[in-house]
Amino acid sequence: MEHLILEIGFAFVLIAAAGIIASKLRFSIVPILIISGLIVGPHMPHIGVLDLRFIKSAPLIDFMARIGVLFLLFYLGLEFSLSRLLRAKRSIIASGIIYMVINISLALALSCLAGWPLKETLIAVAIMVISSSAIVSKMIVELKRTANPETEIILGLMMFQDVFVVVYLSFIYGFVSTGRIFVSDVFISSVFGLALFVGVIFAGKKLTPFLNRWLNIPSDEVFLLVLFAVLVMGAGLFEILHLSEAVGALIIGLILSETEHVERIEYLIVPFRDFFGALFFFSFGLNIDPLALHKAVWVALAAVALTLMGNFASGILVGRAMGLSLRASTNLGLTIISRGEFSIILADLARKNGLLPIIQPFTALYVLILAVLGPLLTKESKWIYFRIERVLQIASKIKRPERSRYHS
Amino acid sequence: MHFSIFQSFFKGLKKTSGEELMGNIRESDLPGIGRKFEIYTRSGDKLAVIVHDDGRRELYHFKYENPDESISMVTLDDDEARNVAGIIGGIKYRPKLVDSTEIFFDDLVVDWLRVDGGAASAGKTIGELQIRKKTGATIVAVLEKSHKKVINPGPEQFIREGDVLVILGEQDKVNACKRLIFFGELNSGTPNP
Repeated sequence: MEHLILEIGFAFVLIAAAGIIASKLRFSIVPILIISGLIVGPHMPHIGVLDLRFIKSAPLIDFMARIGVLFLLFYLGLEFSLSRLLRAKRSIIASGIIYMVINISLALALSCLAGWPLKETLIAVAIMVISSSAIVSKMIVELKRTANPETEIILGLMMFQDVFVVVYLSFIYGFVSTGRIFVSDVFISSVFGLALFVGVIFAGKKLTPFLNRWLNIPSDEVFLLVLFAVLVMGAGLFEILHLSEAVGALIIGLILSETEHVERIEYLIVPFRDFFGALFFFSFGLNIDPLALHKAVWVALAAVALTLMGNFASGILVGRAMGLSLRASTNLGLTIISRGEFSIILADLARKNGLLPIIQPFTALYVLILAVLGPLLTKESKWIYFRIERVLQIASKIKRPERSRYHS
Repeated sequence: MHFSIFQSFFKGLKKTSGEELMGNIRESDLPGIGRKFEIYTRSGDKLAVIVHDDGRRELYHFKYENPDESISMVTLDDDEARNVAGIIGGIKYRPKLVDSTEIFFDDLVVDWLRVDGGAASAGKTIGELQIRKKTGATIVAVLEKSHKKVINPGPEQFIREGDVLVILGEQDKVNACKRLIFFGELNSGTPNP
């Protein structure tokens, strides 16, 4: 244990370097963190004092990554707002359903072709349908498209996806985490998960006035200490109930999102989410053997192709149905393609529950490709639109000569 | 492309939408970014104003015929936006042709006060301090250190170190209120003449 601090320090150096590279390239940090984790690891040589294998520090990095998942999901819970979705335009919900139907079917088709069992399929579906709302909103702001007509719909869709994934996770989690096989058991655990979710939301509503008073702590320091205690202790209790600390953190976030302190909590928790979250993505890369990546190449490429098709088609369909121009609909379909943080969290859940190990390299490749391709396609959507328009023009020209023959 | 069935289905839904229409201004939510205001001007242009949650404002200018691509855009930070708002609202220079109805504010002022560490009232509520009863001024907003804004706070609102208080009242009453917040009582500090 002699050079433990040095080893952890070196991990932090790699993480910070990934952050610097990401901001220099104006690129999402998540894929770069995963790559930096992939590069180092047990396969690396031991050079002098620098141990690039990260063997001694592995338990510590794993632990901090676990805390990172808690913060990421806690934050997702805080941001979750069912009432906001219900207040939004009903057409947003309709477009969300169209998107989900198309993309879930494609993800199911891929899982069937890959021959994955039911649990892996359920996780893979969520990995493939959830866009990275972080990348998407960053691209919209950067490309100065905030005022565009499609932006409202894109952001509404992101909100719909967030709500969908929270409900979906509470629905499947009981089943994925237990070893149940029979249909009746699947049904019982799913209903139990959903009932718990609904119960917690209702109990949370009842608790809100009490929590409002209880959390009215003037000092930021004490407030933060209380938050940490509630989050980690609560997540630990959920683990005892065999409901995973991650789902526990999510539910605690959901309960606190109803209180009047939510903005203060978010403000204080964001630095911790960013720090421990970065460690989580790094450790996700570290846990993957780069030599195992080739096993997942074909299935990941197929998944990328299906996601491109499914997202673009549903974008055009939703956009046209909402009365947008073909150009705005093209933007819509191309912007939602980016994948990121959430797919990785789900793949990590799969690892913790002992699902097929192919899920991690598959997700790593899938996210790496789409975190690069998504922003690129978003940027070049104008060019792609002109190509499409050209094709449509040529298509209509092929019909036109027949008509002119009659006229002449 | 024919999506007429879908379109009519969606049009039915749009009637019950949550967006707000005020005159020729359309207001809508951009979850995660902020809020969008679209102004359809009488001169035939469209102006979109995006108020970001981080305080930035973006102004986009569109032509009616092409709603997909803006002609120009400007980004303002919070200070600049407030100054521009003052100019457009006619506070700095009133257009000569506009028939003005002067409003007399007397010596009514809006002032703000940052509660620093030494303030005796930190940790107390507005009700405990009896601010309105004792000074006649009103705290109309509290901007908490955590960036939470409380508009028109009730008596149960805590005053904490780092908060910014927005106080409304006549000048001498606002001054009294500031003294009360700093010293915790009215008579100490500045000796009565």
